[in-house]
Amino acid sequence: MRSNLRDSSAVPALVPVSHESVALPFKLLLPAFFSVAIVVVLPLLFSLYTSFTSYRLIEPETIWHFIGLRNYLRAFANEDFWAAFGRTVLFLTIALNLELVLGLGIALLLNEVTKGQRILRTIMMFPMMFSPVLVGFQFKFMLNDSTGVINHLLQTLFGLQSTIPFLVNANSALASLIAAEVWNSTPVFAVILLAGLMALPKDPIEASKVDGCTPLQTFRYVTLPYLMPFIYIAMTIRSLDVGRAYDIVRIMTNGGPGGRTELLWTMVGRIAYDDSHMGYANAIGYVSVLVSVLFTLYFFRKLNAARKHMGPA
Amino acid sequence: MRYPTLPTMLRLAASVLALAGIVASGVARADNEYKGYTLRVKLIGGVQYEALYTRIPLWEQQTGAKVEIISRKSHFELDRELKQDIASGHIDYCVSSNHTNFSAQYPIFRDLKGLFPASYLAAFSPSLMKASEINGHLVQIPRSVDIEALYYDKTAYEDPANQAAYSKQFGETLAPPKNYTEFTQQAKFFTKAPNFYGTQFPGKDEAITGTFYSLLIANGGQLLDAKNRPAFNSPIGVKTLNWFVDLYRAGAVPKGVPSYVWDDLGNNFAAGKVALDLDWPGFASFYNEPKTSKLAGNVGVVPAPLGAGNKRPGWSGSHSFSITKTCDRPEVAASFIEFLTSRDSQMVEARLGTIPSRTDAQQAVVKEFQDKHDVFMANAINVFSTAARQDAFTPPRIQQWDEISNALWPELQKALIGDKSSQQALDDAAKKVSDIMQDASD
Repeated sequence: MRSNLRDSSAVPALVPVSHESVALPFKLLLPAFFSVAIVVVLPLLFSLYTSFTSYRLIEPETIWHFIGLRNYLRAFANEDFWAAFGRTVLFLTIALNLELVLGLGIALLLNEVTKGQRILRTIMMFPMMFSPVLVGFQFKFMLNDSTGVINHLLQTLFGLQSTIPFLVNANSALASLIAAEVWNSTPVFAVILLAGLMALPKDPIEASKVDGCTPLQTFRYVTLPYLMPFIYIAMTIRSLDVGRAYDIVRIMTNGGPGGRTELLWTMVGRIAYDDSHMGYANAIGYVSVLVSVLFTLYFFRKLNAARKHMGPA
Repeated sequence: MRYPTLPTMLRLAASVLALAGIVASGVARADNEYKGYTLRVKLIGGVQYEALYTRIPLWEQQTGAKVEIISRKSHFELDRELKQDIASGHIDYCVSSNHTNFSAQYPIFRDLKGLFPASYLAAFSPSLMKASEINGHLVQIPRSVDIEALYYDKTAYEDPANQAAYSKQFGETLAPPKNYTEFTQQAKFFTKAPNFYGTQFPGKDEAITGTFYSLLIANGGQLLDAKNRPAFNSPIGVKTLNWFVDLYRAGAVPKGVPSYVWDDLGNNFAAGKVALDLDWPGFASFYNEPKTSKLAGNVGVVPAPLGAGNKRPGWSGSHSFSITKTCDRPEVAASFIEFLTSRDSQMVEARLGTIPSRTDAQQAVVKEFQDKHDVFMANAINVFSTAARQDAFTPPRIQQWDEISNALWPELQKALIGDKSSQQALDDAAKKVSDIMQDASD
């Protein structure tokens, strides 16, 4: 025992851990494990189970009606589902990239501000303080073809003779939803990237200037690589969070017209609650979770690659 | 044995009558009759519903009971909450707001027959009480009634230039339309897009399903047949849907219509952008209030035009109150509902433009507005109340109504925006509705 102790001080990694010392941290973590199990794992297992049943909210006894893969097969055979699936991936891709570009731009500008940065930071965060429901209503009213301010401006300032039904036209309907989502959530990117910029070591930037790099080269080869981990963290958070767009879509178009803006979340919400087919909705929900997981895995791989590229710094 | 004297008999008779009156009215319960009891309730929330709830302390004062409002949410949120309650089997409240058109989905509410005095139930319009039943069970007491009537912009109709042009073009006097032929004709006549449109209609969600359904019935069609099979893809159904498509393609309605629901319609009409607006009673005071409407003082209200089936589009529904099967003191819950649907309570909402479900309150509020020389509101309430008594019908009161509506409206939209023909859209919707009804019968 004595020799073990002596050895352990020299090589901590080889310490044979006693049963008691394992038990204590485990016991201390037990409440956390228990909470996670109750709050996360159980509902997940429950919803996974119900996705194999014909569970209807208003007929609770159907929870015991096991139907195997029927809900999944029904979803996969449903053209509307695949259209919504594709549109959701498109929505995610465009929204995330736009938020990244705009968020990065705002963060870079704010980082250059020397006076009043705090106030500007607060102002920048205003949009994310609005609830998505409110944002949905705001954009819906602004984009209204008859009484909306956007059409009014187009008519009075640019002499437009007709109106543009932004929430109806095939392309502008989805674009309008993306605009609302981007407006609401770009500050998330901006805040994270601004934190990254503030934490950036100054030496490499100054060294690049001494070496004669242009501002663009400094950004491209020094600042951006350092920022990449922050970018991927923001991407990961937002790819999981973009489901918040449900409220915005629900208010502005509810997936219409004619399914042109239907996303997986609006489809799930309608099937689960309006139609009460919770089992079927959960099956679709699990497919949409799969999309989120794939996005997350992709961004985590990119994050690890970026960290390796940066080295131990 | 001593016989009671005449004065004693009179006093006794008076007491009996008074007691009967108390029981019958259900409002003036014996003081503190329910002292110590807390009635848990879920009520629909929102600006237009709150005025009624200010009367709750009065009921508490009269009965000694306390009211605990455990939920006060919008209709759609309350719908979700009720469904979650049903799923979890956790029904720990006695009274809930309900709605005639959605009540078939909630099996948690008890039959109210026998809980209320006949004299109280007789105060409501018989058609409304019928609409409050599900499979012969009275599961709710209607709080108000919603039905559409036609608002029109008087400035457009009274403009001499418009009158002359209309008379010259059609050989008729310009007056609010009495049928859908005139309606269509006038809608196209008035349109001067993008600044002014002949009419408008809601283009998404249950709003377009209901509007289509309403006109389908007015045209003599059916949504479902007697065996609950889809019947809306009939020639009458196609003709009905073509009416919407025709107006949309002709530009007689705003281009954004497929994204409109009621608030969009309300804002458009109040902004003076539309000549004819088939809409709900709740908009009457909004349209005639100078602070909210450019048309204040120039709004007319007439009954909805007659459809080809010689019926009016009478799509209707009532917010209502129900009592749960698990309620331990249904008599207290019944007293509470009687209070909230008493004549005095209904007058509170009626003064704000809501159409009362009681016929005595309907008449009283019209008289009150007449006495105040508010001709517009007196006429509006009268038009809507008459429509509620004569033309009202609900959607099929079946559990699958929401689901059917969700199958229908995207297809109706596809016809509107030209993705499908009316026949194709209705056939596709009929296929979906057939599957829904088949699933329900399995």
